[in-house]
This record gives sequence, structure tokens and C-alpha cells, in this order.
Amino acid sequence: MKNRNLLLLIVMAAFVLLGGCAEVVQVGTAVGQSSGVLSARDKELLDKQAMSTAQAARPMTEKEEYYLGRAVAATILGQYRLYTDNRRNEYINSIGRTIALSSDKPYIYGGYHFAILDTDEVNAMACPGGLILISRGMLQRAGSEEELAAIVAHEIGHIVNRDGVKAISAARWTQAVTALGADAAGRFGGRQLAELTTLFEGSVNDVFKTIVVNGYSQEQEKAADESAMIYMQRAGYDPSGLYDFLGRLAREQRGSDRRGFFSTHPGMTERLEMARSFLAAKGWKRMDHVARDQRFNAYRW
Amino acid sequence: MKKIVWLVLLGSMMMAAVAAAATFRVVTEEATIRKDRKFFAPVVTRVPYGEVLQEQARKGDWLMVNYKGRQGWIHISTVQEQKFDWSSLSGGRAAEATRDEVALAGKGFTPEVEKSFRNKNPKMRYDLVTQVESYRLSEGQVENFIRAGNLREPGGEP
Repeated sequence: MKNRNLLLLIVMAAFVLLGGCAEVVQVGTAVGQSSGVLSARDKELLDKQAMSTAQAARPMTEKEEYYLGRAVAATILGQYRLYTDNRRNEYINSIGRTIALSSDKPYIYGGYHFAILDTDEVNAMACPGGLILISRGMLQRAGSEEELAAIVAHEIGHIVNRDGVKAISAARWTQAVTALGADAAGRFGGRQLAELTTLFEGSVNDVFKTIVVNGYSQEQEKAADESAMIYMQRAGYDPSGLYDFLGRLAREQRGSDRRGFFSTHPGMTERLEMARSFLAAKGWKRMDHVARDQRFNAYRW
Repeated sequence: MKKIVWLVLLGSMMMAAVAAAATFRVVTEEATIRKDRKFFAPVVTRVPYGEVLQEQARKGDWLMVNYKGRQGWIHISTVQEQKFDWSSLSGGRAAEATRDEVALAGKGFTPEVEKSFRNKNPKMRYDLVTQVESYRLSEGQVENFIRAGNLREPGGEP
């Protein structure tokens, strides 16, 4: 009895020390059972406990995030038309790819892709997994390539910070992971697939509601602004481009009825102030960008 | 006495985990092994999702790996470090469990779930998503864009 308690203690201690690795427990219980210290039932209970804890703790994989993002984008694209000017699409994608390479996550499962929504609205949405949709109305407000880079870099910041995924209710994700069950080999059973599809649908709605209807938290927006300035500076862009663009939006917000973008992005003045302090703290001075200004004029609307 | 045996076993498990910490799995749809530690360095070979690679050296954000006899550098953001394969210690049931864990990582929200979701929601514009994903720029185009704009080539020497 004493040995049995000692083994339970050691197996659970190993589980905690090694980061909740279910296999560690299974090896421990297998040895425990073969040496007669644990009964088959003890082993089964311990293994089951370890597996369910490991699964519940599992973060969403990048591949899963990619499929979730595709569904979110498919939902958004049901409400907008795509802007089909190849030259401008190429320009935005070039800026995006350049910034992405200087981000904290240069490569993601399906790569970064940028598209322009053909609408006068001011909006930009980062779908999990790397699909970034920016409205023509937003891009038309930019006064330089630095400002375009700021818009794109801010959205890449949301992707790197995984803000979209964080919008999914914790309860829903735990349910999705546990719905997988222990028998993971082969294809899903019919009931399991139906349950996962419902949970997937709910997760898509959670993300959609956050990025389109309610907006991210002020903290998430500020963090994305900060990431944007860091990525811009690394890429060789003038990070003040973000400050300049926020300044435009703040001026417009003051005179607007605060619908649409300005309802999901309140506190533009606070973000502007944060950007100013951040740039000052870093000691980043304004820089010349003649080559980029010339190129921007060729793409200007 | 038995207490000591168990503690030794636990200790050796932990040491084995530390010693075997240099295995990585590709987590992007496709990863690129390059000749040098630069984003635009010549491509040695490409590695599909899920493949396992052993680290041979590490400098900054780049790992030197060998894939099917082709050696080069791979960016750290395309791979994820793997834990030690505990099944090798016990075999049998535990080996099965480890395979299950690998399968689990690819379970959850998969192409199969996406297909089922699409059947349930036929109005979703997946056709437009595919269109957006088809906007592809070659590495040469991005490199030229960076140079022409007097921007900085990223990811070089740390």
C-alpha cells in the first residue's frame, strides 16, 4: 500500500515537472502495472486523467488556426466585393510580405495573404492564420507608403499576437479538444464530426464578432500598434508612419458620428499618444523616404 | 530501496528529455531549407508539413538541418521543437499512445471539419478565399521591392 501511494505520487510529480506530458504518465503506469504495484484499473484511471488534462491544455495548432481563419475570411467575403486591380494588389502584398519577414513570425502555416475589399468603409481585418483584408476606404486615407505599411504591420501584429484565436471562448475550445476523444486514429466518427463542426461554427462566430462587430480590446490594439512600429523599424520603414496614420484617423473620428470603424476602434487619441511616447522612448527619428514616396505616387488612388 | 529505484528512474527520464531536445517538426504547409541564414538565400530543398528534422547547429533564428541527405538552414518559425519520444523507453502500449498524440495534433479543426462546415454553410465565399490565397509573389519580386524602396533585407546575421 505504501509503495502504491509512493508510485502515484511519483507519477503525478513527473507529470507536473515535465509539463503535463501524458506519455510520461503512461510509461510510469505501464511500469507500475508490470511490477504489480498498480492494478489495471489504477493504470486506466491515471492514463485517462493524464490524457484529458493534456488535451484540454493543448493550444490550437497553426494548422487549425489556418482553417479557422479561412472560414472567418469566407464569412467576411460574403459581405464585400474584392478589389481586383492586380497592380495595387501586388503593391499591398509586397508591403505585407516585406513587413511579415521582419515580424516575430515571418512564416506561418499557409503564409500571409493580403486583399483589398472594394468598399468606401474604413476597415481592416486580420483573420487568424494570415489572411488580411483591408478596405479600399482605409488604404485611400494613407498619405504615404509608410502609412500603408503601418496599416499592414498593425494587422500582422494581430496575427502574431494571435488576437483572433483569443476571441474564441475558452469553454468552446476545451469542448472541441475533449470532443476528439482518446481514439484519435483514423477519421472522425459521424457524431464526432457533427459536434466538431458545430464547435468550429461557434469559434468562427466568436472571431467574426470580435473582429467585425465588437472590435479588439484597447490593450490588444495598443499591443498591435507597438508590434507594428517594431516591425516597421526592422524592415527599414519609418515607424512614425503609424503615428501619422493614427493622427488622420483621430482627426476624422473627432468629426464623425462614430459608426462603423470608429465604433469598433474607440480611443484613437489614446493610441496616438501611446505611439508618440513609444517612438520617443525608442529614440527613433523621422527618416527620408523619397524612393518609397515616388513609388507610392504611382499607386495612389 | 524501492523509493530510490523510482527516483533514479524519474531522474533518468528527465535527463533523457533534456538530452533529446533537438528534434523539430515542420509546422508550415511547406518549409524551405536554404544555403545560408538569409530569407532570400538559394533554396536547397523543401520539406512538407509534419516532417521531423534533427538540429545539427543553431545560429540566431536559424537551424542547420539535414533532410534526405540535403543540408542547409531552416528558419525557426517554420518548425516546432518536439518532446522526447517516451515510447522508446517502454514500447507496446505507450508507443501506440505516442502515435495517438501525434495524430491528435493534426485533429481538431481539419480539412474534414472545413468540408463539413462548407456543406452546412453553402453561402460562404470560399471561392474568394482561394482567390486571395492565389495572390503569390516570388521571392525575387519581394527582394526587388525591398531593394527598390531602400528597405532593409530582414533575417540576416543575428
